[in-house]
Amino acid sequence: MSLADLRGDVRAFGAATIKEWRILRRYKGSLLSFVFWPIALPLAYVFQAHAFSGGRADTAAAFAARTGTNEVAGFLFVGWATYMWLSIILWGPGTSLRTEQVRGSLEAIFLTPASRLVVLFGPAISQLVWAIWIFAVVGVALWLGFGVSIGPLEAARALGVILVGIPALYAIGALFAAVVLRFGEVSALVQGVRGLFTAVCGMSFPIVVLPDLAQRVALSLPPTYLIADLRAVLLTGAGIGQVAGDLLILAAMGGLLAVLAAYAFRRTEQYARRGGRLAQY
Amino acid sequence: MDRPMDEIRNEWRAARAIARKELLVFRRYRLNAVNQVLQPLYQTLIPGVLLGATFAVGGEALGLAETAGTTDLTGYLFLGMLALNLGSAGFWAVAYSLKMELDAGTLEPGWLTPTRRETFVIGMTLAGLVFALLATAILLAIGTWFFGAQLAPRLVVAIPALAVASIGVLGIGYLIGAIVLRMREGNFFVDATDFIFVALSGAAFPIVVLPEAVRWISYLLPTTYALDLMRVAALDTRPLLAVPLEWVAMALTSVALVAVGRAAWLSTEHRMRMLGTIGQH
Repeated sequence: MSLADLRGDVRAFGAATIKEWRILRRYKGSLLSFVFWPIALPLAYVFQAHAFSGGRADTAAAFAARTGTNEVAGFLFVGWATYMWLSIILWGPGTSLRTEQVRGSLEAIFLTPASRLVVLFGPAISQLVWAIWIFAVVGVALWLGFGVSIGPLEAARALGVILVGIPALYAIGALFAAVVLRFGEVSALVQGVRGLFTAVCGMSFPIVVLPDLAQRVALSLPPTYLIADLRAVLLTGAGIGQVAGDLLILAAMGGLLAVLAAYAFRRTEQYARRGGRLAQY
Repeated sequence: MDRPMDEIRNEWRAARAIARKELLVFRRYRLNAVNQVLQPLYQTLIPGVLLGATFAVGGEALGLAETAGTTDLTGYLFLGMLALNLGSAGFWAVAYSLKMELDAGTLEPGWLTPTRRETFVIGMTLAGLVFALLATAILLAIGTWFFGAQLAPRLVVAIPALAVASIGVLGIGYLIGAIVLRMREGNFFVDATDFIFVALSGAAFPIVVLPEAVRWISYLLPTTYALDLMRVAALDTRPLLAVPLEWVAMALTSVALVAVGRAAWLSTEHRMRMLGTIGQH
């Protein structure tokens, strides 16, 4: 790849980001959802936690022993904020490919000399802005509603964890995009995988309460490490060194999944081009 | 001119035909249907049960016993899923069907038939209720086989409670129909109000943990009473009010919801006919 190609791809990335941002801005309802869900979803679980705690000291102690923190609201808000961010990253590339497919513009995009990475992850860059927004809303809600304050050091550590987690998550997103190219409609599959993550990755609970087999499944999924490490650095004051082992696993998973995703995407793209299926849906 | 009884019979036949059509469309997308049945399991039940396990002391949900009067956490949340299904019948069955008709451009021709406009909503809600009933039966079977829930024999009380609450669900259908027609792209609104409705009905936690001002909104929803009556019968939970009073409150709120919803629907329909915007989407 020449320098000119690289410059062109960077420009294409910028253009894809601006396009997605403009589309998002047109639908005001979507903007509202980025304020509503980061607060409403975890808040429902906070009420549920109050009901399960019943104001008793022994139930609160059981929670603290299993999670390592007394911050029930913080635990739940961080878990569900991560879940929402994961949703955006994981389904973003596949959803935008599917949208282009339905609009009939996918074939035209594939005819441009821009890298496939631009097609896949250009929209995801603008979605990253929303991810940062979600965490900001959660931070403010925790501070104003529950008196949980997150300092700049904790925020910087959390950013470090997020950066390590990004390759794995984007790779899973690319795998979904490959499935979209191969099969078209995948919303049921997406919901199924989202369900698996919700059921085992610990958005609303620590994975120690899962049965053994489910714990093993949880430990093979990148979101489990991401959620646990974000909670550790934000709520228990853990340093990066204390979660370094997890971060290494997360990075290794990212590398492995990236290779797998690149291979799967190349193969399905070849299949779609040869079979003339890019425009079909 | 037809006699009133003939007219009612004709409208009822039309409502059944609309419901049959909706169920036929639904059956075509089997994976989506399966996902809709299973969604409450992985989105509500499993995270809820595991959060409950995080607070458990010696394997017992002692906190829930304080707030709801039962330690049967799984049974409590299983019954909550019934409210989730009922809510979806009112919210999504009507919203989704109307949006499909709007997008396909078939709403206007449908409204040119001699069938009353209210009958369309009745048919769509009916289809939603049939699906909710099927989903509930499947979930109860799963609950009995996999989770060991012992609810079925004591749920006889659910039949009349669900029948009365269904009248209220029709009211929701009217309201949501009016909103979809006015907003045209109301996905976020429908999703958010469905979530709030289900949460305030006490699907995931006893409403006694809500702030007092919010609790008063719960008292205006018929599903709050339907759910509470079922839980009292199946799990011996503490009732919110005296049981006969709950039956009266459920009937009154159901009728009020239908009256308000129907008025909103008729006014929206009138406005759209005057503006000539029925075919727009």
